[in-house]
Amino acid sequence: MSTVIPKKRLASGLTVTQKVFVRSRNGGATKVVSEHYLRDDIPCYSKACTRCPEIVKPDANNQYPNFVLSDSPVYAEKYGHHYVVLDTNIVLLAIDLLENKDAFCDVIVPQTVLEEVRNRSFPIYTRLRALCKSDEKRFAVFHNEFSEDTFVSRLLNETINDRNDRAIRRCCDYFQKHLNQHRDKKVKQINVVFVCNDKKNRDAAAGAGIMADSLVDYVTNLPNGEDLLDFVPNMEDGPSFSHKKETKFPDYYTTARLMGGIKNGTLYQGSINISSYNFLEGTISVPSFKKPLIIMGRENLNRSFNGDQVVVELLPKSKWKTPSNEIVEEENMDANDNAEDGDSPNEIISDKERLFLLKEAQKASSEESSTRIQPTAKIVGITKRSWRFYVGQISENSVAKDSRTSNAARNCFVILMDRSLPKIRIRTRKAGELLGQRIVVAVDSWPSTSKYPEGHFVKSLGAIESVQAETEALLLEHSVEYKPFSKKVLECLPKEGHDWKVPTKLDGDEFIKKRKDFRDKLVCSIDPPGCVDIDDALHAKQLPDGNWEVGVHIADVTNFVKPNTPLDAEGAYRGTSVYLVDKRIDMLPELLGTDLCSLKPYVDRFAFSVIWTLDNDANIIDTNFHKSIIRSREAFSYERAQLRIDDASQQDDLTKGMRALLDLSIKLKQQRLDAGALNLASPEVKVHMDSETADPGEVEIKKLLATNSLVEEFMLLANISVAKKIYDAFPQTAMLRRHAAPPATNFEVLNEMLRVRKNMSISLDSSKALADSLDRCVDPQDPYFNTLLRIMATRCMMAAEYFPSGMFSYGEFRHYGLASEIYTHFTSPIRRYCDVVAHRQLAAAIGYESLDFSHRDKDKMELICKNINKRHRNAQFAGRASIEYYVGQVMKNNNNDTQEGYIIKVFSNGIVVLVPKFGIEGLIKLEVLGDANSAKFDDENFSLSFKDQNGDAKTISVFEHVNVQIKSVLDPATSKRKAQLVLV
Amino acid sequence: MSNKELYSPEGLRLDGRRWNELKSFTCKVNTHQTSSDGSSYVQQGNTKVMCKVNGPLEPKSKANSNNNNASITVNLNIASFSPVERRKRPKSDRRIKEMMTILEKTFSETVITKLYPRTQIIVDCYVLSQDGGILSAVANSVTLALIDAGIAMYDFVSSINVGLYNNSIPILDLNHLEEGDMSFLTLGIVGKSEKLAMMLLEEKIPFDKLETLLGIGISGAQRIKDLMDEELRKHGKLLISTAAS
Repeated sequence: MSTVIPKKRLASGLTVTQKVFVRSRNGGATKVVSEHYLRDDIPCYSKACTRCPEIVKPDANNQYPNFVLSDSPVYAEKYGHHYVVLDTNIVLLAIDLLENKDAFCDVIVPQTVLEEVRNRSFPIYTRLRALCKSDEKRFAVFHNEFSEDTFVSRLLNETINDRNDRAIRRCCDYFQKHLNQHRDKKVKQINVVFVCNDKKNRDAAAGAGIMADSLVDYVTNLPNGEDLLDFVPNMEDGPSFSHKKETKFPDYYTTARLMGGIKNGTLYQGSINISSYNFLEGTISVPSFKKPLIIMGRENLNRSFNGDQVVVELLPKSKWKTPSNEIVEEENMDANDNAEDGDSPNEIISDKERLFLLKEAQKASSEESSTRIQPTAKIVGITKRSWRFYVGQISENSVAKDSRTSNAARNCFVILMDRSLPKIRIRTRKAGELLGQRIVVAVDSWPSTSKYPEGHFVKSLGAIESVQAETEALLLEHSVEYKPFSKKVLECLPKEGHDWKVPTKLDGDEFIKKRKDFRDKLVCSIDPPGCVDIDDALHAKQLPDGNWEVGVHIADVTNFVKPNTPLDAEGAYRGTSVYLVDKRIDMLPELLGTDLCSLKPYVDRFAFSVIWTLDNDANIIDTNFHKSIIRSREAFSYERAQLRIDDASQQDDLTKGMRALLDLSIKLKQQRLDAGALNLASPEVKVHMDSETADPGEVEIKKLLATNSLVEEFMLLANISVAKKIYDAFPQTAMLRRHAAPPATNFEVLNEMLRVRKNMSISLDSSKALADSLDRCVDPQDPYFNTLLRIMATRCMMAAEYFPSGMFSYGEFRHYGLASEIYTHFTSPIRRYCDVVAHRQLAAAIGYESLDFSHRDKDKMELICKNINKRHRNAQFAGRASIEYYVGQVMKNNNNDTQEGYIIKVFSNGIVVLVPKFGIEGLIKLEVLGDANSAKFDDENFSLSFKDQNGDAKTISVFEHVNVQIKSVLDPATSKRKAQLVLV
Repeated sequence: MSNKELYSPEGLRLDGRRWNELKSFTCKVNTHQTSSDGSSYVQQGNTKVMCKVNGPLEPKSKANSNNNNASITVNLNIASFSPVERRKRPKSDRRIKEMMTILEKTFSETVITKLYPRTQIIVDCYVLSQDGGILSAVANSVTLALIDAGIAMYDFVSSINVGLYNNSIPILDLNHLEEGDMSFLTLGIVGKSEKLAMMLLEEKIPFDKLETLLGIGISGAQRIKDLMDEELRKHGKLLISTAAS
């Protein structure tokens, strides 16, 4: 490494130097030389500065930089008015604290730090960049590497890290001097404080006359430091936990060994899925094995979290296990762990756990039916953590009663709402105060010497069971973005707001000229009652030749949501609207969703129309797509539409059209079912809210009317037609949706249960065979059995997914459930982003406008799909969790109901019962059922025999019909109100 | 390397330039007096190019002879040590061939070929080091060498490339990291006019952005022209002063 690199002054006030470093790749060393320009026009971004506003230059859009740093920053006794310069380690460890709005305003982020953060963790980098953008936090990035005054060259024998540290210190020094020299004389003295957790660096800074402090000391010295200390994450310098015990988790393999192992096939990589019934058992699906690999026991799970990307090593065949039949909950296993004194009283593996593992091992070896044994593995490395914010509450046991009022910092456990995750140990001063509240925590690390991961407190959501806290908690848990739309997004909306109207003159700009005027068609919309975001409307008209003209009109959202605007970016990020029982989290701002786009009756609206010519048997003769203008004649609810159709006295054209639609839809449905479309079921319920008190009233199973299926059939038809069209136009990047056929292994257990218990079977040869065999499985004694089976079959299915057409070959586009060759989502652009993309692609395909680059690029489309798939899944989970919460609340009001239930799963120490009436399922543990010791589990027959509480022998098995008493209880571990079931 | 910010929100590029700043540009003419009729050396950032012109001469084969015009042959040699990682490119490499064809076509239009019927002009270019924008550096060096050889031309051809970052921000004079990550346009401009003598686009650029890119490219190329003009005048003065003494 040469140390003297020549600098050359350029005419334009720039200096150019060279950056030289040696890069190693595949064992060889390459010398990389790149130019590095140093400049004198990088501003300090301080409002107090008199010089920098003179020298700034505009960017490509002719925007001048914003001077964000306040001229009267926060005051602390020790530091005076000051700006903060951050070191890399602070950003990496305490990004949550930096995001806190009560501290860390007016912060300077040197470019060196920004780049180091970027190399270390991209998510944190993104968050840091977001901070720099926000106006309230006043973070400024100072490009010290490009500034003539602060650039430092690497010295002989100096490591990169030392050079970077020196560059950061130089930056602090520059700022201090710059501020002293160029500060507006009317402004008070402003100091620069360097916050860094590296003692060596701090000492060097102090030597150079720079004020430097560690994060903890800095926060303590702030005026509101007391409240903030809790947010300071655990780190080396900070108050840490003591780990006296020598027992520990096995260390992870080195990266080189992991990469080598994956390459030569001795190690496998995958994402781990921890059972929600048994926190000691995880599975990983690996392409080279037909069955998923089992990972059992805390030591083999080796500090992994549910969803982490992990690397596993196969155990010898003698240690292979069968999947556990037992319910194991962490709370029972380690209830007595003490948060305060490290891990001293217990080792990582407790005796109880050993017992469990022993039992499993015995079972595996004694098993005559060795077919159920599955390959078993242990985790040897974690490539990507799935850590995010977690919601939970402080475990009551971990906070000693007498110390609840004291203000000293203490360790305590946080039990997370997600049962498959371990408890997290945090250190807080407010343990007493936080008891009984839903809190958000972040995980910092999981050292191999600690039984539990360590984290820190982020914020409190409110009291447990309060509607607001629970709603926010479930949104956070499913990473649903629920913040109000930002100013930038709202600025993209039409200026006229609610007064915006469809232009009356249709010879305006070229785009309006291209629209068809369908205002004379008798269009109406049919939606659930109270629906305000009306996506779709329909019409039908008989043509002179006896065929039918049928039109589906979809809200023209892309007329308002243009690509590459903040509004579009926000929509793409949210991906979908989320429907909770009492609340809707919109994908697009309300003005669009419920007014300008919504196809409300009696007003003109822009629409995107699909017009078919159908013959009397509902065969498609012709399909056309138009951007259009429509005027809906009426907005019906499903029930009112049904009444109108059934009312023979109504003979106007609109009603006739609706009747025709209903007829055609029945034929369409039959065509679909003949092709093998599945008719699956899910225990969906709806919670009625009391309109005055907003208390949940009663629970009802969703009813289906013929008009529901009317709308559904035409939406499916529109989606299929659009999918074909955009695939023709964009064979590589069309936005499509597929549903893969379920692998036979998914149905193995269900089929086995059916064979043993009911002497029935379901066939998986094709979707048609599956549909037919499901129809055959009817129990004459039990009309609900067929629905139950459909519910269970649904759970064995694969999830449908969005994808750009270039990702799969045509044969794999198939939508299994709908038995359609090709499919997309087009009909709900107000609440799904996929539809927005499909709209744009269709508009380009019919030559209405040119397609934005991002929808023509395969990589960009893959990113969009990945995000909306994730959002879609999360939205579904959030919706279900919301129903679960409200059903719990309803139970609270009418306790001790006796209801019918069905056993859907049998464990050796408990059963799972589904109650159709409320759509809930619950676990009944053996201890509650009766005498645990006398129980015998027969896993061949999926049945459990035991003596109940009265001492009578009883045998129960899967699919059996039972009566259960439903009680609403607050789960002591997760503090979720759940329905507890008791067999009667 | 893609984990770098190609263009930061503060408006700075990877190497510290702003969006419309050129790489450091230096050039020399008449560098190989003995081996050629005209020669030049151009350095744009770390892209270093040398060019030698021989001619007009008697064509070596009849195939290169044209009764009305001079024929221009361009040879492009890219040294195997010129990129960051050593790589040998055969002469038959399609991209090199394409560049040679483009250069031949461009200069056949700019050189007043009808003044030299039945002759051949041979242009040899050598790329010694690459850091993006090879074609534009080569085109600039050919212009200088042709002028040095005293061959009649209508005007300068000055060349530059311009890329589009994130489909929204135009960026002038890309280095090799930037070239790898965005689609870009290489332009050759005739003199101080806005006439295009050369244009090459290998990827896609949205049509509505093209005009902005052209505008920025043209102003960049004109700046290059001024820099080359300055160097040529300096060289001319030197020649006059030595001739006078």
